[in-house]
Amino acid sequence: MKNSISTKAITFKYDESTIVDEISLQVKSGSFLTIIGPNGSGKSTLLKLIAANLTPDEGTILINDRQLTSYKMKDLAKEMAVVPQDTNVAYDFDVFDIVLMGRNPHLKRFQKEGDADFAIVRDAMEQTNTWHLRERKVNEISGGERQRVIIARALAQQPKIILLDEPTSSLDIHHQIEVLELLKRLNQEKEVTIVAVLHDMNLAARYSQEVLLLHVGKIITMGKTEDVMTVENLQRAYKMEMIIQRNIYTNALEVIPLSLSAKKEKRTNKKIHLVCGGGTGKELLQHLLEEGYKVSMGVVNVGDSDWELGKLLAIPMAEEKPFSEISEEALGKAEKLANESNLSIMTSVPIGWGNIKNLQLVKNQLQQSKKVFLYKQNLWGERTDFTEGRGNALIEELKSLGLQEISTMEELLNQLGEYK
Amino acid sequence: MINKFKHPRNFMILLILLFVVIIGASISGSANITASNSIKIIFSRIPVFGEGIDLTDIPKSHLTIVHNIRLPRILLSFIVGFGLSVVGVALQGLLKNPMADPFIMGTSSGAALGAAIAILLKLNMAFLGVGIISVFAFFGALLATFIVYQLAKVKNKVPVTTLLLGGIAVGQLFTAMMSFIMVISSKDVTSIVYWTMGSFSSRGWNHIQVAVLPIFLGTAIIYIFAKDLNILLLGESTAQNTGVEVEKVKGIILAISALVTAFAVSVSGIIGFVGLIIPHIVRMLVGPDHRILIPASGLLGGIFLIVADTLARTMISPTEIPVGIITALAGGPFFIYLLRNSKRAI
Repeated sequence: MKNSISTKAITFKYDESTIVDEISLQVKSGSFLTIIGPNGSGKSTLLKLIAANLTPDEGTILINDRQLTSYKMKDLAKEMAVVPQDTNVAYDFDVFDIVLMGRNPHLKRFQKEGDADFAIVRDAMEQTNTWHLRERKVNEISGGERQRVIIARALAQQPKIILLDEPTSSLDIHHQIEVLELLKRLNQEKEVTIVAVLHDMNLAARYSQEVLLLHVGKIITMGKTEDVMTVENLQRAYKMEMIIQRNIYTNALEVIPLSLSAKKEKRTNKKIHLVCGGGTGKELLQHLLEEGYKVSMGVVNVGDSDWELGKLLAIPMAEEKPFSEISEEALGKAEKLANESNLSIMTSVPIGWGNIKNLQLVKNQLQQSKKVFLYKQNLWGERTDFTEGRGNALIEELKSLGLQEISTMEELLNQLGEYK
Repeated sequence: MINKFKHPRNFMILLILLFVVIIGASISGSANITASNSIKIIFSRIPVFGEGIDLTDIPKSHLTIVHNIRLPRILLSFIVGFGLSVVGVALQGLLKNPMADPFIMGTSSGAALGAAIAILLKLNMAFLGVGIISVFAFFGALLATFIVYQLAKVKNKVPVTTLLLGGIAVGQLFTAMMSFIMVISSKDVTSIVYWTMGSFSSRGWNHIQVAVLPIFLGTAIIYIFAKDLNILLLGESTAQNTGVEVEKVKGIILAISALVTAFAVSVSGIIGFVGLIIPHIVRMLVGPDHRILIPASGLLGGIFLIVADTLARTMISPTEIPVGIITALAGGPFFIYLLRNSKRAI
């Protein structure tokens, strides 16, 4: 397969600072590549270099295996259309006229637009859902509508390559998906090569086969989405803690940012054991990690949503088989984790016959006169006892032994901070 | 799209208006000439068509007044108004700046300095039938524009902001030099000031000969780039990606604009406001499409300047008011009125 775009060691400098640093890449014809990277990583500059809006200080760019500098602008515009970030138009044209301008590369200087051109423009506008705007003034429509109009204009060029600089930045979620679905369709049905700079990594992962990750003007990695979107790669660029998982609905990779990794000074050696389950510990777990505590967890059942998060965050856990009653073995492991901790926190997890032994664990901690907090949220409603009163009775007993109930996160974190 | 069917009609209206204004201007003044006589005299000058017109019953003096005094002024003000307006349209589009006018690149101050030097040096001889002051103004205008262009050029590109700032800086510098000339030679102050306010007084066919070809040719070249100017309104990068050779178009339009303006200034002095407000008024009337905007602005600009010049020579006759005063006096309030009433942003 031939290359649509290929760059050889291109470098671009603003004064002395290097924005794009010896980037070489190949984009195969018919691929859908997104460029991601933090602010100032050179994404837009790279796109502008490929679009011939900027000229590289060093290196060469080939478009469809031909030197970019050897193209006449009109010929280049037949090959490649660009959707810029800034879609302002200086004076007030009708929307239709703006899209019609996309036919310019196909027309001679004094040639009037013909029926074929009008048909192409109409098609482009219908695909971008802008046909109803055709008689409006371009500066009277909303930013999102204008963005789609500019995309329609690019489509009217009938290019083989479309470059887009954050095409979804001013769109609402509906139109974001609409635009990306449109690009995907063009990519699949008409084999248009798409290169898009996207801020939103999740959209990038969902729509593109290939991702290019940039950081300070250099490529960290480029390749299949699955290979690029790893915690290790993304951490190098974004400098933060994150989780990458498959979204259960779209099956696309999904990045969940957690906290900035820079909070190192907050690290304490304090260990906290968490007794939770059914998702009651998720929020708490993240807060505790952000505050720098070392956290262990258990007993939780495999497959439980708290267990899933713990697994992703590599938390030491005492595990039990799915939907099974807590075994002595698991409880023992949990006791060990709790004993190693400075204190424990129990969430208002629903108590059933399966997990009632966790209360025993809490009782043991209290009897060793170690501190235990009950973080009461009633995430699952008022009723947390499914053991005909046994659970509630046990909790009352625990309270008399010193279990301290707290109902807000703020107060809990506060108390933890004061606790030596 | 809807507008486009109306345009032939709009142009007809403008052409009829032009005709009426020319006739009106040709009969205004102290000599009492009737409209029908004036029409006859003017038409008799058109080759082939005019040969059959009988002028025997019109007084000889009227023939001379219309033909040698009024008609050249009318045509010259039309040509100058046409050129300045078209250049105004082109520069406002090219620079995407509603403040742009033909003098934005320091043209006026350059021309004024040139004229001031010629007046100071008492250079009264004529060159190609045109006073040496005009020649100095012409080269002053070109020199200023050239300096601004060179200043603004960064790596073969001409960024709009640097161009605008360069225009202001060079303009101030040249104005300062002109003021200095006025200070050291106080007896020339009146002539210099009059020149800088623009006038068509005692201009004749020789001035038209100098200006007509460059101005119409220049505006024709600008018209060739009408479509590119439209696309440039989307921004320079987008224009480039839509197939416009941006820097080439920019270079050509800037050069042509400078030449057209220099020719206009050299025959009329500095007439402000025409090149600024006519494009805006026409844009409000016909929309931003340069394919219509350019010819319509040219026509309306010409008509406007004919009217302004007629007022200039008749209002407090026999004293002539510099036409630049009229354009600002009449154009300013009208423009403000339009701005306040227009829902469309400039």
